[in-house]
Amino acid sequence: MKYVIVGVGVAGIEAAREIRKKDAQGEILMISADAQIHSRCMLHKFIAGERDEKGLDFTELDFFEKYRIQWKSGVRVKEVCPDGKEILLDDGERITYDKLLLANGADSFIPPVGDLRKASNVYGLRNLTDAQAIVKEAEGARDVLVIGSGLVGLDAAYGLLERGGRLTVVEMADQILPVQLDARGAAAYQELFEKAGVRFVLGRRASEAVCEADGKIHKVTLDNGEELACDLVIVAAGVRPSLACLEGSGIDCERGVTVDSCMRTSKEDIFAAGDITGRSGIWPNAADQGRVAGRNMCGAKAEYTDTYAMKNTINFFGLVTLCVGRIRPEEGDDIRVKEDRTQYKRLILKDGKIEGVLLQGDIAHAGTWQYLIKNRIDVSGIEKDIFSVSYADFYFTGEKGEYVWV
Amino acid sequence: MRRIIVEYEKCDGCKNCSAACMQAHREIGGTIYDLDLTDPGNESRNYILKDEKGRYKPLFCRHCDEPECVKSCMSGALTKDPESGHVFYDETRCGSCFMCVMNCPFGVLKPDRITKSKVIKCDFCVNAGGEPSCVASCPKKAIHVEEV
Repeated sequence: MKYVIVGVGVAGIEAAREIRKKDAQGEILMISADAQIHSRCMLHKFIAGERDEKGLDFTELDFFEKYRIQWKSGVRVKEVCPDGKEILLDDGERITYDKLLLANGADSFIPPVGDLRKASNVYGLRNLTDAQAIVKEAEGARDVLVIGSGLVGLDAAYGLLERGGRLTVVEMADQILPVQLDARGAAAYQELFEKAGVRFVLGRRASEAVCEADGKIHKVTLDNGEELACDLVIVAAGVRPSLACLEGSGIDCERGVTVDSCMRTSKEDIFAAGDITGRSGIWPNAADQGRVAGRNMCGAKAEYTDTYAMKNTINFFGLVTLCVGRIRPEEGDDIRVKEDRTQYKRLILKDGKIEGVLLQGDIAHAGTWQYLIKNRIDVSGIEKDIFSVSYADFYFTGEKGEYVWV
Repeated sequence: MRRIIVEYEKCDGCKNCSAACMQAHREIGGTIYDLDLTDPGNESRNYILKDEKGRYKPLFCRHCDEPECVKSCMSGALTKDPESGHVFYDETRCGSCFMCVMNCPFGVLKPDRITKSKVIKCDFCVNAGGEPSCVASCPKKAIHVEEV
Protein backbone atom coordinates (compact mmCIF):
# COMPACT_ATOMS: atom_id res chain seq x y z
CA MET A 1 0.00 0.00 0.00
CA LYS A 2 1.37 3.39 -0.94
CA TYR A 3 0.13 6.39 0.98
CA VAL A 4 0.88 9.85 -0.35
CA ILE A 5 0.35 12.86 1.88
CA VAL A 6 0.54 16.36 0.47
CA GLY A 7 1.51 18.87 3.16
CA VAL A 8 3.58 18.70 6.33
CA GLY A 9 1.39 20.88 8.50
CA VAL A 10 -0.26 19.35 11.53
CA ALA A 11 -3.01 17.61 9.54
CA GLY A 12 -0.50 15.82 7.31
CA ILE A 13 1.86 14.97 10.16
CA GLU A 14 -0.90 13.55 12.36
CA ALA A 15 -2.27 11.51 9.47
CA ALA A 16 1.19 10.03 8.83
CA ARG A 17 1.60 9.09 12.49
CA GLU A 18 -1.78 7.43 12.51
CA ILE A 19 -1.11 5.50 9.31
CA ARG A 20 2.19 4.18 10.64
CA LYS A 21 0.48 3.06 13.84
CA LYS A 22 -2.05 1.04 11.87
CA ASP A 23 0.09 -0.13 8.97
CA ALA A 24 3.67 -1.06 9.77
CA GLN A 25 4.53 -2.12 6.22
CA GLY A 26 2.92 0.46 3.97
CA GLU A 27 4.99 3.01 2.09
CA ILE A 28 4.40 6.59 3.22
CA LEU A 29 5.51 9.51 1.09
CA MET A 30 5.04 13.11 2.19
CA ILE A 31 5.28 15.95 -0.28
CA SER A 32 5.47 19.59 0.67
CA ALA A 33 6.23 23.05 -0.58
CA ASP A 34 7.58 23.75 2.93
CA ALA A 35 11.27 23.01 3.13
CA GLN A 36 11.04 22.72 6.88
CA ILE A 37 8.39 21.50 9.28
CA HIS A 38 7.13 24.43 11.29
CA SER A 39 4.29 25.44 13.54
CA ARG A 40 2.47 28.37 11.99
CA CYS A 41 1.35 29.45 15.43
CA MET A 42 4.96 30.31 16.29
CA LEU A 43 6.01 32.33 13.26
CA HIS A 44 5.92 35.54 15.30
CA LYS A 45 8.60 34.04 17.55
CA PHE A 46 10.78 33.59 14.50
CA ILE A 47 10.17 37.16 13.34
CA ALA A 48 10.99 38.42 16.82
CA GLY A 49 14.23 36.45 16.76
CA GLU A 50 13.19 34.40 19.80
CA ARG A 51 13.46 31.13 17.90
CA ASP A 52 15.34 29.92 14.87
CA GLU A 53 13.82 27.76 12.11
CA LYS A 54 14.51 24.56 14.01
CA GLY A 55 12.79 25.94 17.09
CA LEU A 56 9.51 26.05 15.18
CA ASP A 57 9.46 22.31 14.48
CA PHE A 58 6.64 20.66 16.41
CA THR A 59 7.59 17.05 15.68
CA GLU A 60 10.12 14.68 17.19
CA LEU A 61 13.66 15.34 15.95
CA ASP A 62 13.78 12.01 14.16
CA PHE A 63 10.21 12.11 12.89
CA PHE A 64 10.80 10.82 9.36
CA GLU A 65 13.15 8.01 10.41
CA LYS A 66 11.05 7.06 13.38
CA TYR A 67 7.91 6.59 11.34
CA ARG A 68 9.79 5.43 8.22
CA ILE A 69 8.43 8.16 6.00
CA GLN A 70 9.93 9.45 2.80
CA TRP A 71 9.78 13.21 2.38
CA LYS A 72 10.03 15.20 -0.78
CA SER A 73 10.17 18.89 0.09
CA GLY A 74 10.30 22.11 -1.85
CA VAL A 75 7.83 20.96 -4.51
CA ARG A 76 4.23 21.77 -5.18
CA VAL A 77 1.48 19.61 -6.56
CA LYS A 78 0.41 20.90 -9.95
CA GLU A 79 -2.32 18.46 -10.79
CA VAL A 80 -4.28 15.66 -9.22
CA CYS A 81 -5.49 12.90 -11.54
CA PRO A 82 -7.94 10.61 -9.70
CA ASP A 83 -8.50 8.40 -12.75
CA GLY A 84 -4.85 7.50 -13.17
CA LYS A 85 -4.33 7.57 -9.37
CA GLU A 86 -1.39 9.87 -9.70
CA ILE A 87 -0.33 13.41 -8.98
CA LEU A 88 1.87 15.68 -11.03
CA LEU A 89 4.46 17.85 -9.28
CA ASP A 90 5.78 21.19 -10.45
CA ASP A 91 9.20 19.64 -11.05
CA GLY A 92 7.61 17.39 -13.65
CA GLU A 93 7.61 14.20 -11.61
CA ARG A 94 4.54 11.98 -11.59
CA ILE A 95 3.77 10.11 -8.42
CA THR A 96 1.27 7.29 -8.10
CA TYR A 97 -0.70 6.51 -4.97
CA ASP A 98 -3.05 3.98 -3.51
CA LYS A 99 -4.40 6.45 -0.94
CA LEU A 100 -3.91 10.19 -1.20
CA LEU A 101 -4.33 12.82 1.49
CA LEU A 102 -4.65 16.45 0.51
CA ALA A 103 -3.39 18.43 3.48
CA ASN A 104 -1.73 21.25 1.62
CA GLY A 105 -3.46 23.93 3.62
CA ALA A 106 -4.39 27.41 2.57
CA ASP A 107 -2.85 30.57 1.18
CA SER A 108 -2.96 34.06 2.59
CA PHE A 109 -5.71 36.09 1.03
CA ILE A 110 -4.46 39.38 -0.35
CA PRO A 111 -7.46 41.59 -1.17
CA PRO A 112 -7.56 43.07 -4.66
CA VAL A 113 -6.88 46.60 -3.46
CA GLY A 114 -4.67 48.68 -5.75
CA ASP A 115 -1.38 46.93 -6.39
CA LEU A 116 -1.30 44.89 -3.17
CA ARG A 117 -1.16 41.63 -5.13
CA LYS A 118 1.60 42.87 -7.41
CA ALA A 119 4.01 44.66 -5.08
CA SER A 120 7.20 42.95 -3.91
CA ASN A 121 7.01 44.29 -0.35
CA VAL A 122 3.57 42.88 0.51
CA TYR A 123 3.39 39.62 2.46
CA GLY A 124 0.92 37.40 4.16
CA LEU A 125 2.04 35.60 7.32
CA ARG A 126 1.30 31.96 6.79
CA ASN A 127 4.51 30.08 6.02
CA LEU A 128 8.04 30.12 7.30
CA THR A 129 9.05 31.58 3.95
CA ASP A 130 6.72 34.52 4.64
CA ALA A 131 8.32 35.08 8.03
CA GLN A 132 11.81 34.86 6.54
CA ALA A 133 10.93 37.37 3.84
CA ILE A 134 9.32 39.70 6.38
CA VAL A 135 12.46 39.66 8.54
CA LYS A 136 14.56 40.53 5.51
CA GLU A 137 12.26 43.27 4.27
CA ALA A 138 11.98 44.71 7.80
CA GLU A 139 15.69 45.43 7.81
CA GLY A 140 15.90 49.13 7.20
CA ALA A 141 12.12 49.54 6.86
CA ARG A 142 11.11 52.80 8.48
CA ASP A 143 7.38 52.24 8.35
CA VAL A 144 5.61 48.91 8.63
CA LEU A 145 1.92 48.59 7.90
CA VAL A 146 -0.17 45.65 9.05
CA ILE A 147 -3.59 45.30 7.44
CA GLY A 148 -5.93 43.38 9.73
CA SER A 149 -5.85 43.04 13.50
CA GLY A 150 -6.90 39.44 13.95
CA LEU A 151 -4.54 36.98 15.60
CA VAL A 152 -2.25 36.83 12.56
CA GLY A 153 -2.06 40.60 12.20
CA LEU A 154 -1.23 41.05 15.85
CA ASP A 155 1.25 38.17 15.71
CA ALA A 156 3.04 40.02 12.93
CA ALA A 157 3.03 43.30 14.86
CA TYR A 158 4.21 41.56 18.03
CA GLY A 159 7.04 39.84 16.20
CA LEU A 160 8.17 43.08 14.62
CA LEU A 161 8.19 45.15 17.82
CA GLU A 162 11.89 44.68 18.38
CA ARG A 163 12.91 45.06 14.76
CA GLY A 164 12.69 48.83 14.64
CA GLY A 165 10.43 50.76 12.29
CA ARG A 166 7.17 52.49 13.09
CA LEU A 167 4.29 50.00 13.24
CA THR A 168 0.77 50.85 12.18
CA VAL A 169 -2.14 48.42 12.21
CA VAL A 170 -5.26 49.14 10.15
CA GLU A 171 -8.52 47.42 11.06
CA MET A 172 -11.94 47.62 9.38
CA ALA A 173 -13.87 46.99 12.58
CA ASP A 174 -14.03 49.54 15.36
CA GLN A 175 -11.99 47.33 17.68
CA ILE A 176 -9.02 45.01 17.35
CA LEU A 177 -9.49 41.21 17.46
CA PRO A 178 -13.13 41.68 16.41
CA VAL A 179 -13.80 37.97 15.92
CA GLN A 180 -12.32 36.93 19.25
CA LEU A 181 -13.07 39.62 21.79
CA ASP A 182 -15.57 42.14 23.05
CA ALA A 183 -14.62 45.82 23.05
CA ARG A 184 -13.35 45.75 26.59
CA GLY A 185 -11.13 42.69 26.17
CA ALA A 186 -9.76 44.14 22.94
CA ALA A 187 -9.01 47.51 24.54
CA ALA A 188 -6.70 45.83 27.04
CA TYR A 189 -4.53 44.47 24.21
CA GLN A 190 -4.73 47.69 22.25
CA GLU A 191 -3.36 49.56 25.24
CA LEU A 192 -0.47 47.11 25.63
CA PHE A 193 0.43 47.33 21.96
CA GLU A 194 0.18 51.12 22.03
CA LYS A 195 2.47 51.27 25.03
CA ALA A 196 4.96 49.26 22.98
CA GLY A 197 4.75 51.86 20.21
CA VAL A 198 2.13 50.47 17.81
CA ARG A 199 -0.40 52.83 16.28
CA PHE A 200 -3.89 51.55 15.46
CA VAL A 201 -6.23 52.96 12.86
CA LEU A 202 -9.66 51.46 13.50
CA GLY A 203 -12.82 51.51 11.44
CA ARG A 204 -10.88 52.06 8.25
CA ARG A 205 -9.97 50.02 5.23
CA ALA A 206 -7.26 50.35 2.62
CA SER A 207 -8.68 51.75 -0.59
CA GLU A 208 -5.65 52.48 -2.74
CA ALA A 209 -2.06 51.30 -2.96
CA VAL A 210 0.15 52.10 -5.90
CA CYS A 211 3.41 50.38 -6.81
CA GLU A 212 6.28 52.75 -7.33
CA ALA A 213 9.21 52.41 -9.71
CA ASP A 214 11.01 49.99 -7.37
CA GLY A 215 8.06 47.59 -7.48
CA LYS A 216 7.11 48.38 -3.92
CA ILE A 217 4.23 50.14 -2.24
CA HIS A 218 5.39 53.07 -0.15
CA LYS A 219 2.01 54.55 0.63
CA VAL A 220 -1.43 53.10 1.32
CA THR A 221 -4.50 55.33 1.14
CA LEU A 222 -7.40 54.63 3.47
CA ASP A 223 -11.10 55.08 2.75
CA ASN A 224 -11.10 58.45 4.51
CA GLY A 225 -8.26 59.71 2.36
CA GLU A 226 -5.60 59.35 5.03
CA GLU A 227 -2.26 58.23 3.64
CA LEU A 228 -0.02 55.82 5.52
CA ALA A 229 3.64 55.55 4.66
CA CYS A 230 5.04 52.01 4.45
CA ASP A 231 8.16 50.18 3.39
CA LEU A 232 6.74 46.79 4.32
CA VAL A 233 3.10 45.71 4.23
CA ILE A 234 1.73 42.63 5.96
CA VAL A 235 -1.74 41.60 4.97
CA ALA A 236 -3.62 39.59 7.55
CA ALA A 237 -7.02 39.32 5.93
CA GLY A 238 -7.61 35.61 6.29
CA VAL A 239 -6.72 32.60 4.18
CA ARG A 240 -8.25 30.68 1.31
CA PRO A 241 -7.91 26.90 0.84
CA SER A 242 -5.19 25.98 -1.66
CA LEU A 243 -7.40 24.56 -4.37
CA ALA A 244 -5.44 25.57 -7.46
CA CYS A 245 -3.95 22.11 -7.98
CA LEU A 246 -7.39 20.51 -7.97
CA GLU A 247 -8.66 22.27 -11.07
CA GLY A 248 -9.87 19.73 -13.57
CA SER A 249 -9.55 16.88 -11.08
CA GLY A 250 -13.29 16.53 -10.65
CA ILE A 251 -12.92 16.62 -6.86
CA ASP A 252 -15.93 18.43 -5.39
CA CYS A 253 -15.08 21.74 -3.78
CA GLU A 254 -17.14 24.45 -2.19
CA ARG A 255 -15.27 26.95 -0.06
CA GLY A 256 -12.70 24.20 0.37
CA VAL A 257 -12.50 20.55 -0.60
CA THR A 258 -15.77 18.89 0.31
CA VAL A 259 -15.33 16.02 2.73
CA ASP A 260 -17.61 13.69 4.65
CA SER A 261 -17.20 12.95 8.36
CA CYS A 262 -14.48 10.39 7.50
CA MET A 263 -12.55 13.11 5.64
CA ARG A 264 -13.20 11.39 2.29
CA THR A 265 -13.47 13.60 -0.78
CA SER A 266 -15.85 12.92 -3.65
CA LYS A 267 -13.19 10.82 -5.38
CA GLU A 268 -12.31 7.35 -4.22
CA ASP A 269 -9.13 6.93 -2.20
CA ILE A 270 -8.60 10.67 -1.91
CA PHE A 271 -8.95 12.27 1.50
CA ALA A 272 -8.51 15.84 2.70
CA ALA A 273 -7.77 17.37 6.11
CA GLY A 274 -6.88 20.71 7.61
CA ASP A 275 -7.21 24.15 6.10
CA ILE A 276 -7.75 22.86 2.56
CA THR A 277 -11.20 21.69 3.62
CA GLY A 278 -12.16 25.24 4.54
CA ARG A 279 -13.54 23.88 7.80
CA SER A 280 -12.17 25.07 11.09
CA GLY A 281 -8.67 26.32 10.68
CA ILE A 282 -7.57 26.00 14.24
CA TRP A 283 -4.76 23.68 15.21
CA PRO A 284 -6.49 21.06 17.39
CA ASN A 285 -9.23 20.57 14.82
CA ALA A 286 -6.82 20.28 11.90
CA ALA A 287 -4.88 17.70 13.93
CA ASP A 288 -8.07 15.75 14.59
CA GLN A 289 -9.02 15.81 10.94
CA GLY A 290 -5.58 14.48 10.05
CA ARG A 291 -5.88 11.60 12.49
CA VAL A 292 -9.35 10.71 11.26
CA ALA A 293 -8.19 10.78 7.64
CA GLY A 294 -5.14 8.66 8.48
CA ARG A 295 -7.23 5.99 10.18
CA ASN A 296 -9.71 5.79 7.35
CA MET A 297 -6.91 5.65 4.79
CA CYS A 298 -5.75 2.38 6.33
CA GLY A 299 -9.23 0.97 6.40
CA ALA A 300 -9.95 1.60 10.07
CA LYS A 301 -13.12 3.45 10.82
CA ALA A 302 -13.03 6.88 12.41
CA GLU A 303 -15.19 9.97 12.25
CA TYR A 304 -14.47 13.63 12.78
CA THR A 305 -17.08 14.53 15.35
CA ASP A 306 -15.53 17.09 17.70
CA THR A 307 -15.98 19.85 15.16
CA TYR A 308 -16.48 22.71 17.59
CA ALA A 309 -14.13 25.49 16.60
CA MET A 310 -15.37 28.75 18.08
CA LYS A 311 -12.48 28.81 20.47
CA ASN A 312 -9.25 30.70 20.85
CA THR A 313 -6.55 31.57 23.29
CA ILE A 314 -4.51 34.75 23.07
CA ASN A 315 -1.27 35.61 24.80
CA PHE A 316 0.52 38.90 24.20
CA PHE A 317 2.69 40.72 26.74
CA GLY A 318 1.82 38.04 29.32
CA LEU A 319 -1.86 38.97 29.22
CA VAL A 320 -3.70 35.72 28.50
CA THR A 321 -7.23 35.44 27.20
CA LEU A 322 -9.49 32.54 26.43
CA CYS A 323 -12.68 32.89 24.43
CA VAL A 324 -15.06 30.09 23.59
CA GLY A 325 -18.45 30.32 21.93
CA ARG A 326 -20.42 33.44 21.23
CA ILE A 327 -18.78 36.80 21.80
CA ARG A 328 -21.57 39.24 20.84
CA PRO A 329 -24.43 39.52 23.32
CA GLU A 330 -27.98 39.17 22.00
CA GLU A 331 -31.35 40.14 23.38
CA GLY A 332 -32.49 37.83 26.15
CA ASP A 333 -28.96 36.91 27.21
CA ASP A 334 -28.06 36.70 30.85
CA ILE A 335 -24.63 38.34 31.04
CA ARG A 336 -22.43 37.76 34.07
CA VAL A 337 -19.27 39.72 34.66
CA LYS A 338 -16.57 39.33 37.25
CA GLU A 339 -13.60 41.60 37.40
CA ASP A 340 -10.80 42.89 39.53
CA ARG A 341 -7.40 44.44 39.01
CA THR A 342 -5.98 41.30 37.42
CA GLN A 343 -8.85 39.80 35.50
CA TYR A 344 -11.97 40.34 33.45
CA LYS A 345 -14.39 37.47 33.03
CA ARG A 346 -17.65 37.48 31.14
CA LEU A 347 -20.17 34.70 30.60
CA ILE A 348 -23.12 34.72 28.24
CA LEU A 349 -25.93 32.51 29.49
CA LYS A 350 -29.18 31.66 27.78
CA ASP A 351 -31.87 29.29 28.99
CA GLY A 352 -29.59 27.89 31.67
CA LYS A 353 -26.81 27.11 29.25
CA ILE A 354 -23.52 28.86 28.71
CA GLU A 355 -23.18 30.14 25.17
CA GLY A 356 -19.99 32.10 25.47
CA VAL A 357 -17.11 32.64 27.82
CA LEU A 358 -14.39 35.26 27.77
CA LEU A 359 -11.67 35.12 30.39
CA GLN A 360 -8.87 37.64 30.44
CA GLY A 361 -5.98 37.69 32.87
CA ASP A 362 -6.76 34.38 34.52
CA ILE A 363 -7.58 31.31 32.47
CA ALA A 364 -6.65 28.70 35.07
CA HIS A 365 -8.72 25.51 34.79
CA ALA A 366 -10.75 27.02 31.97
CA GLY A 367 -10.92 23.86 29.84
CA THR A 368 -14.19 22.89 31.47
CA TRP A 369 -15.98 25.84 29.87
CA GLN A 370 -15.38 24.56 26.38
CA TYR A 371 -16.94 21.24 27.30
CA LEU A 372 -19.97 22.92 28.90
CA ILE A 373 -20.51 25.20 25.92
CA LYS A 374 -20.05 22.80 23.06
CA ASN A 375 -22.16 20.11 24.67
CA ARG A 376 -24.81 22.60 25.71
CA ILE A 377 -24.85 21.41 29.31
CA ASP A 378 -27.55 22.91 31.51
CA VAL A 379 -25.89 24.58 34.50
CA SER A 380 -28.95 26.26 35.93
CA GLY A 381 -29.40 23.61 38.62
CA ILE A 382 -25.96 24.15 40.14
CA GLU A 383 -26.36 26.24 43.24
CA LYS A 384 -23.07 28.00 43.18
CA ASP A 385 -21.55 31.19 41.88
CA ILE A 386 -21.46 30.52 38.14
CA PHE A 387 -17.77 31.44 37.89
CA SER A 388 -16.83 28.71 40.34
CA VAL A 389 -18.60 25.95 38.42
CA SER A 390 -15.96 23.35 37.69
CA TYR A 391 -15.48 19.71 36.89
CA ALA A 392 -16.13 19.08 40.60
CA ASP A 393 -19.80 19.58 39.82
CA PHE A 394 -19.73 16.81 37.21
CA TYR A 395 -17.07 14.66 38.83
CA PHE A 396 -17.03 11.03 37.75
CA THR A 397 -14.20 8.55 37.55
CA GLY A 398 -14.23 5.44 35.40
CA GLU A 399 -12.91 1.98 36.25
CA LYS A 400 -9.35 2.88 35.39
CA GLY A 401 -9.38 6.05 37.41
CA GLU A 402 -9.93 8.17 34.32
CA TYR A 403 -12.21 11.18 34.43
CA VAL A 404 -15.40 10.85 32.45
CA TRP A 405 -18.14 13.28 31.52
CA VAL A 406 -21.45 11.54 32.07
CA MET B 1 0.36 2.47 32.55
CA ARG B 2 0.63 3.58 36.15
CA ARG B 3 -2.02 6.07 37.19
CA ILE B 4 -2.55 8.03 40.39
CA ILE B 5 -5.89 6.80 41.72
CA VAL B 6 -7.82 8.99 44.12
CA GLU B 7 -10.68 7.67 46.23
CA TYR B 8 -12.43 10.97 46.62
CA GLU B 9 -14.87 9.66 49.22
CA LYS B 10 -11.94 9.40 51.63
CA CYS B 11 -10.67 12.94 51.00
CA ASP B 12 -11.15 15.34 53.87
CA GLY B 13 -9.74 18.33 52.04
CA CYS B 14 -6.55 18.74 54.09
CA LYS B 15 -4.49 19.61 51.00
CA ASN B 16 -1.43 17.75 52.17
CA CYS B 17 -1.21 16.45 48.61
CA SER B 18 -1.04 20.01 47.29
CA ALA B 19 1.65 20.97 49.80
CA ALA B 20 3.63 17.85 48.87
CA CYS B 21 3.29 18.73 45.20
CA MET B 22 4.52 22.28 45.80
CA GLN B 23 7.41 20.91 47.81
CA ALA B 24 8.33 18.46 45.06
CA HIS B 25 8.42 21.19 42.44
CA ARG B 26 9.91 24.12 44.34
CA GLU B 27 12.82 25.83 42.64
CA ILE B 28 15.01 26.35 45.66
CA GLY B 29 15.57 23.28 47.81
CA GLY B 30 14.54 22.94 51.43
CA THR B 31 12.19 21.01 53.61
CA ILE B 32 8.42 21.12 53.76
CA TYR B 33 8.81 23.14 56.96
CA ASP B 34 10.29 26.12 55.13
CA LEU B 35 8.11 25.82 52.03
CA ASP B 36 6.61 29.26 51.38
CA LEU B 37 2.95 28.55 50.71
CA THR B 38 2.28 32.17 49.80
CA ASP B 39 5.03 32.39 47.17
CA PRO B 40 3.19 32.55 43.82
CA GLY B 41 6.15 30.69 42.33
CA ASN B 42 5.23 27.64 44.39
CA GLU B 43 2.27 26.15 42.61
CA SER B 44 0.61 22.83 43.16
CA ARG B 45 -0.23 20.60 40.21
CA ASN B 46 -3.17 19.05 41.98
CA TYR B 47 -6.23 20.76 43.37
CA ILE B 48 -8.92 19.98 45.88
CA LEU B 49 -12.14 21.41 44.51
CA LYS B 50 -15.52 21.56 46.15
CA ASP B 51 -18.79 20.73 44.47
CA GLU B 52 -21.99 22.66 45.13
CA LYS B 53 -22.67 20.66 48.28
CA GLY B 54 -19.21 21.36 49.65
CA ARG B 55 -17.91 17.85 49.06
CA TYR B 56 -14.23 17.53 48.19
CA LYS B 57 -13.39 16.54 44.63
CA PRO B 58 -9.66 16.11 44.02
CA LEU B 59 -8.58 17.25 40.56
CA PHE B 60 -5.43 15.41 39.47
CA CYS B 61 -4.07 15.06 35.94
CA ARG B 62 -5.20 11.65 34.68
CA HIS B 63 -2.53 11.33 31.99
CA CYS B 64 -5.43 10.47 29.69
CA ASP B 65 -5.38 7.61 27.20
CA GLU B 66 -6.15 10.14 24.48
CA PRO B 67 -4.94 13.38 25.99
CA GLU B 68 -6.66 16.44 24.58
CA CYS B 69 -3.77 18.60 25.78
CA VAL B 70 -1.29 16.68 23.63
CA LYS B 71 -3.66 16.75 20.68
CA SER B 72 -3.91 20.53 20.88
CA CYS B 73 -0.22 21.29 21.43
CA MET B 74 1.19 23.26 18.52
CA SER B 75 4.82 23.24 19.64
CA GLY B 76 5.51 19.61 20.47
CA ALA B 77 5.98 20.50 24.16
CA LEU B 78 3.33 18.06 25.36
CA THR B 79 3.86 14.41 24.51
CA LYS B 80 2.49 11.11 25.67
CA ASP B 81 5.40 8.87 26.55
CA PRO B 82 4.84 5.61 24.68
CA GLU B 83 6.53 3.55 27.38
CA SER B 84 5.14 4.93 30.62
CA GLY B 85 1.95 6.34 29.13
CA HIS B 86 2.50 9.55 31.05
CA VAL B 87 1.98 12.95 29.52
CA PHE B 88 5.12 15.02 29.80
CA TYR B 89 5.68 18.71 29.28
CA ASP B 90 8.85 20.21 27.88
CA GLU B 91 8.92 23.82 28.97
CA THR B 92 11.69 24.72 26.53
CA ARG B 93 9.56 23.79 23.53
CA CYS B 94 6.34 25.38 24.79
CA GLY B 95 5.02 28.29 22.72
CA SER B 96 2.83 29.59 25.59
CA CYS B 97 -0.34 29.51 23.48
CA PHE B 98 -2.37 27.71 26.16
CA MET B 99 -4.55 25.79 23.75
CA CYS B 100 -3.91 22.86 26.10
CA VAL B 101 -5.55 24.81 28.93
CA MET B 102 -8.53 25.48 26.69
CA ASN B 103 -8.82 21.88 25.53
CA CYS B 104 -8.45 19.87 28.74
CA PRO B 105 -12.09 18.87 29.26
CA PHE B 106 -11.58 18.53 33.00
CA GLY B 107 -9.94 21.90 33.54
CA VAL B 108 -6.80 20.46 35.07
CA LEU B 109 -4.27 22.70 33.34
CA LYS B 110 -3.41 26.33 33.94
CA PRO B 111 -0.71 28.83 33.01
CA ASP B 112 1.91 29.56 35.66
CA ARG B 113 0.93 32.46 37.87
CA ILE B 114 4.02 34.65 37.53
CA THR B 115 5.20 34.59 33.93
CA LYS B 116 2.12 33.21 32.13
CA SER B 117 4.53 31.43 29.84
CA LYS B 118 4.48 27.86 31.14
CA VAL B 119 1.87 25.26 31.85
CA ILE B 120 1.50 23.86 35.35
CA LYS B 121 1.15 20.14 34.85
CA CYS B 122 1.66 16.91 36.80
CA ASP B 123 4.92 15.21 35.80
CA PHE B 124 4.38 12.10 37.94
CA CYS B 125 7.38 13.33 39.96
CA VAL B 126 9.56 11.81 37.25
CA ASN B 127 12.59 13.72 38.50
CA ALA B 128 12.16 12.24 41.95
CA GLY B 129 12.13 8.66 40.77
CA GLY B 130 8.62 8.57 39.37
CA GLU B 131 6.86 8.03 42.67
CA PRO B 132 4.36 10.87 42.98
CA SER B 133 4.86 12.89 46.16
CA CYS B 134 1.14 13.38 46.70
CA VAL B 135 0.63 9.65 47.34
CA ALA B 136 2.75 9.35 50.47
CA SER B 137 1.48 12.64 51.87
CA CYS B 138 -2.18 11.67 52.14
CA PRO B 139 -3.11 11.01 55.78
CA LYS B 140 -6.39 9.39 54.70
CA LYS B 141 -4.63 7.01 52.32
CA ALA B 142 -6.99 8.19 49.62
CA ILE B 143 -4.29 8.34 46.96
CA HIS B 144 -2.39 5.42 45.49
CA VAL B 145 -0.71 4.44 42.26
CA GLU B 146 -2.15 1.59 40.29
CA GLU B 147 -1.29 -0.18 37.06
CA VAL B 148 -4.32 0.35 34.83
